[in-house]
Amino acid sequence: MIAQRLRFESTHPTEFIDLTDRIRAEVRRSGLTTGRVHLQSLHTTLGLAVNENEPLLLRDFTGLLERLAPGDASYEHDDFTRRIDVATDEPVNGHAHCRQLLLTGFATLLVESGELVLGRWQSVFAVELDGPRERQVAMQLDGDFARKAASFREDLVELELTRLLMVDPEPVAAPMRRLMEAGGKRMRPRLVQLTAQLGPQYEPLRTAGLAAAVEILHNATLVHDDYVDESTHRRGRPTVAAAEGPERAIAVGDYYFAKATRLIAETGNHDVTQTIAAALEAICESQIDDVALRGAFPGDHDSYLRVVRGKTAALFAAACASGAQLSKASPEVVEALWRYGDLLGVAFQMADDMVDFSPSSGKPVGLDIRQRVLSLPLIYAAEDREVGPEVRRLLAGALGDDEVARVAELVASSAALRRVGDEARKLVEAAVQELEKVELNGLRPTLIGLARAAVDRDS
Amino acid sequence: MSAMVLERELDRLEGLWAEGLAELYRTYLDEVDGHEPELQPKLALAAALVEVGVRLQGLGGPAAPAAALLMGDLCLARSSRILTDSASQPIQIAFARAVEALSGAAASDGEMPAVRGLLVRALAAH
Repeated sequence: MIAQRLRFESTHPTEFIDLTDRIRAEVRRSGLTTGRVHLQSLHTTLGLAVNENEPLLLRDFTGLLERLAPGDASYEHDDFTRRIDVATDEPVNGHAHCRQLLLTGFATLLVESGELVLGRWQSVFAVELDGPRERQVAMQLDGDFARKAASFREDLVELELTRLLMVDPEPVAAPMRRLMEAGGKRMRPRLVQLTAQLGPQYEPLRTAGLAAAVEILHNATLVHDDYVDESTHRRGRPTVAAAEGPERAIAVGDYYFAKATRLIAETGNHDVTQTIAAALEAICESQIDDVALRGAFPGDHDSYLRVVRGKTAALFAAACASGAQLSKASPEVVEALWRYGDLLGVAFQMADDMVDFSPSSGKPVGLDIRQRVLSLPLIYAAEDREVGPEVRRLLAGALGDDEVARVAELVASSAALRRVGDEARKLVEAAVQELEKVELNGLRPTLIGLARAAVDRDS
Repeated sequence: MSAMVLERELDRLEGLWAEGLAELYRTYLDEVDGHEPELQPKLALAAALVEVGVRLQGLGGPAAPAAALLMGDLCLARSSRILTDSASQPIQIAFARAVEALSGAAASDGEMPAVRGLLVRALAAH
């Protein structure tokens, strides 16, 4: 049995906060193979619900709650003259308590084969009824646990991340901790840990240090990205820039950029430091290109590939190569893994672009459209003979809710998503081909599985 | 540093060179005479890039607009890569610690240490 708390902050009076990815991540991290996840709200104005994460439907739910327990109605609970022991900061929230009664404060989810058992459209929500506030949901994982070597390696990275952040000044550590605790796929550290097993000098602890540094570097770039993109949320939580202000976000990004490069320098492996430094430079160059290309939104396929190779694939490739370099794998293996990571990174980004159009992703549909972020499905839709003219016309104007919804609808109705999916899968197969060229000590199936899973996902 | 090497290291940063980076580079050249002659220009450029980078970002002051922040990020990344290519491990670590000190102070709303002093000390690390 594992007991823990899911902590989060709501940002609106009524809000559906999708916890699905976080719960999935906790299940995977725990090694629970068959069993149950029990959730319990620790608040009387916070409910739980399992339903579809579709923005318009969530607005319907909000409207329903408002009709059943209107916020402007009279509630005896709000008559403080008749209550005893009323706290000085007692909110006027009779409506929120009544709404909570209509929901539930408990949920049990099943786990099979190490994965949450959820229907295609099901997401798990904490339903804020009296926000914004800091909230907690108690969670217990119960059943059969498998402790595999892979799980121990992942634990090592998580422990290393916790340790590294623990010694930092709180004004930088707290926002970074919130960002990291909110989830993330930890793809880059996994790649470091896998590829580090290919050389003759594999050391798990040293590898965990490099893997954690690479993850910190990735998150540092996200902190600045979110300020540049004016994003308000990441992984279901307010971005550092939104929560702490842009000045703090710049400082936090710089601090962890510097800390990560220091940790990597401290490995004392010249090949590793060169590989990561080159990737970081490529990321920064492509960020500049990315912003510059927004003037010609949605851009074209060549520009897209150029930006994505730097923005996403550079660190994937560096993660793959640096793990192998750390353990002194042969140059042939390092080069093959670099190419594998490069191709995988581009495919991963394409899959990420597709998630923006998936209602079941847990993220608001059309965020990339709204933020005018380079996106291959949009590029293909804009080129499409049937929907292209309307897509281009809409993208050329102001993008309000209606326009974003219409563009998303046009993209979904065209062949764009299928084309992107096909292209991503081709890249993955090309990445797999790179692995055929070298000896990988039995790790080939794991690397192939990881690559295929990276594009066959909906979150 | 030969003109060709300098040109390569200033790719995308040419505008900054004319706007003060060149002057800072020359200032830092005076601080690196204890190093091997072929290393001196690279170390001076790395230090100048950090100083320009954090200034562009507005670190410790009002946040820079997105374009300036990204250019500042590139300066820091370029500096880091130049050091990785050419500097000793203690200097690489000292530069990173200098940026940690600056950004840590900026995030804490505390008094910012002098950038140049930190970088000059980093250049002397061994």
